[in-house]
Formats: sequence, structure tokens, C-alpha cells
Amino acid sequence: MRFDWSVITDNWPLLLYGAGNTILLAVCTMALALPGGLLLAALRMTPWAPVRGFATAFVEFFRTTPVILQVYWVFYVLPVMTDIRLSAFGTGLAALTLNVSAFNSETFRAGLNSIRPGQRNAGLSLGMSGWQVLRLVVLPQAVPRVLPALASTWVSLFKDTSLVSVIAIEELSYVGLQLRAQSFRVLEVLTAMAVLYWIMGYPQAKLVDWIHRRIKVAE
Amino acid sequence: MGWDMSVDLSPLLNNWRFLLGGVETTLLLSLLSIALGTVVGVGVGIARCYAARPVAAILAFYVDSMRAIPLLVILVWTFFALPLLTPYSMTPFAAGVLGIGLHLAAFVSEVVRAGLLSIRPGQMQAALAMGMSRAQAIRLILLPQALIRMIPAFGSLVVITIKDSAIASVIAVPELMRQSQIIVGKTYRPLEVFSFVLIVYFLLCWPVARGIDRIYRRLAPLGAT
Repeated sequence: MRFDWSVITDNWPLLLYGAGNTILLAVCTMALALPGGLLLAALRMTPWAPVRGFATAFVEFFRTTPVILQVYWVFYVLPVMTDIRLSAFGTGLAALTLNVSAFNSETFRAGLNSIRPGQRNAGLSLGMSGWQVLRLVVLPQAVPRVLPALASTWVSLFKDTSLVSVIAIEELSYVGLQLRAQSFRVLEVLTAMAVLYWIMGYPQAKLVDWIHRRIKVAE
Repeated sequence: MGWDMSVDLSPLLNNWRFLLGGVETTLLLSLLSIALGTVVGVGVGIARCYAARPVAAILAFYVDSMRAIPLLVILVWTFFALPLLTPYSMTPFAAGVLGIGLHLAAFVSEVVRAGLLSIRPGQMQAALAMGMSRAQAIRLILLPQALIRMIPAFGSLVVITIKDSAIASVIAVPELMRQSQIIVGKTYRPLEVFSFVLIVYFLLCWPVARGIDRIYRRLAPLGAT
């Protein structure tokens, strides 16, 4: 077996372009899924049972079905059902945002619920308003507890961006698989693709471990 | 618009046997991947806690690399690139089990390691003081306590594996995702087929998720030290 790595050096800008789109997609998704997750978490805490039920069903559904199928579903079904036409990038962004919002909402809910009710009661008994209690007492304690889980979700999201290659978004996986098909240098291209993901993902995995170690839950 | 908005269930009714075969392959693929991932993962997890430092460092590198690379890339590499380095070729199904299993093993090993490290060091010291060997102490004292604490995390990994098995459609393993794509290609009814398959995955995963919560609540007191 002879290997010819010139296919990698010749197509370096293409692979970097794909990697850039991977990062862009992950950043845009998280930017939308943080408020999306907050919204879903808030809906699950409202007094109206139908709204709560809808939000719960939405979260459970997106957490227990494959991301790749969600991507296909948004790509094929959303335009038929709603008449919304998105670009390929927009479609991938929408599918990943729906998925990550569901996971984020569980993180936010767990973080808020982990603060003992006595904290809230104490704030109220000191004459604070509900909003003040949330902003000055609950959130400062909840945010550090939520960070490690958000960091883990970020790493999962970064890897899940590879799944939108199935609807032809030009991120790293799509670019790599296309290059493999055109050049027939299967081993070289696929290995370079894996190495690029490794270079981006390995420091993230290490950073997540560090955040988990750094922010231990202290009562 | 040119799209027919009416719902037509005939693609599902005419192909239910084909889809059922996909469900069976999804379950078999998940089961074998979980078996491989558990065996390798438990070994790696224990070795990272107790093996000599160079071995532990190599295993840490394996685990962190698997955590950094998307499963899609691992599956594609296993199926298309790995056979070029070896004299053997692989069926898509075998490549799927190998790729998903070795990817899962990294996550299982982290669960095992966290479980073992959560047992107070006094337990190991007490076992050694009673005259047990290290291997006996791990097997008889540490693992039984750690195993119960691992149940929730392991349960999430089971659900994640069933979901992730859909990625094997990319290397043409005839599991549920792949079969549904084929039916969509033939009938062009993505609304009915993909919506139905979403519900099937939900029905496969949701009871597992809730069932494991229930088992854990019953066993949790046994894991307390």
C-alpha cells in the first residue's frame, strides 16, 4: 500500500474552509440555544399545565431521538409543513439549535432546582422582590453549577455538527467526504479529517475536564 | 408550492416488514456495540485507576481522543480507511459494531473510573488490612459498590448508543435510519416516513431512560458507603 499525502497539502485551504464552517456552525448554534434553553426551562416552570406539558414533551422528544434523524426531518419536513424555506446552513442551524436547546433547558432547570428553597424564602423574607431574589441570590449560585454541564454540551455539539454533512452543508465532514470521493485517496483524506477534528476537539475535552475539576459543587 | 400536503400512510403500510427489519438491526447493532463497549470500557477504566503510569497515560490518550472525534468520522474511517491498512475487509455491520463499540468504550471507561474514584480510600485500605490482594479488593469490595453508582451514567450511555446507531446509516448499515431513507427515496413521502421513524426511536429510547431511573432509585441505598 502506497500513500500519497499530496492530496492533503494540495487541498489544505478547502479543509480549513470546512473546519471554519464547523466552528461557525457550533458557535451560532450555541448562541441561539442558550436563550432557547432558557425559554424552554421557563416554559416548564409556568403555572399553565398545557404550556408545561408541551415544553416537557418537546424536551423529552428531542433528547431521545437521533440528531441525524432530526436533521433529515427539519430538512425535508419543515418546508412542507410550515412553508418556511431555509438555506442549507440555516436548516442545519435550526436542527442543531432545537436539539441543543432541549439539552440546555434540562441543564438550566437542574441548576435552578439545585438551589435550596430556603435561599429563596430567606431572600423574600428580607423584603426582596421575586426578580431581585432570582438575580441576586439564586442565579449567582446556579450559574457556576450550570457551567460544567454547558461545557460538556458544547463538546457534544461540536462533534454533532458533523451530522449536518448529510444535507450537504460544507463543514469539515462534508468537505472531507467529497474530497475522498473525488481524489480516491481514501485513507489519506479520512485520516487528515480525523486529525483536524482531533486538533480542535482534544483541547476542548481537556478544558471541560478542567472546568469540572475547578467548579465543584460546594454547599 | 407543488407539494401534496395530504398525509399518505401507504409507504409505511407497504413497507412495514422492511422497517421492522431496520428496527431489529438497530437493536442488534446497539446491543453488540454496548457489549463491546462495556467489556473494553470496564477494562480501560480499571486499568486507568490501577495500572502502571505509562499504560494509564496511553489509555488516557485513547479515551480523550475518542471524546474529541465525532462518531461519524470514526465510523467512516473504520469502514473505508481501516481495511486499507489490513488484509481484511469488513461488512458495514461489523465496522458499525467496531466503531460504535470502541467509541462507547471511552465513555464507559470514564463512568467506571469516576465510580471507582468515588469509593472512599478507606475501603481499599480496610480490604488490604484484612489480607486481601489488590485484585480481590477491587473485585469484591470496590466494584460492587461502584457498579451501583454507575447505573445512571451507564443508562444514559445505553440511550445515547441507540440514538448514535442511526449514524451507521452513513456507512450503509441496514438499520432503521438507513431503511427509512431508502423508503423515502422510493416513495418520496419524507413527512410520513421520517415522522413515524422519529416516534419509533422515541419509543425505543424513552422507556430505557425512564426504566433505568426506576432501577437506580430502588438500588441507590446499596451504593451508599
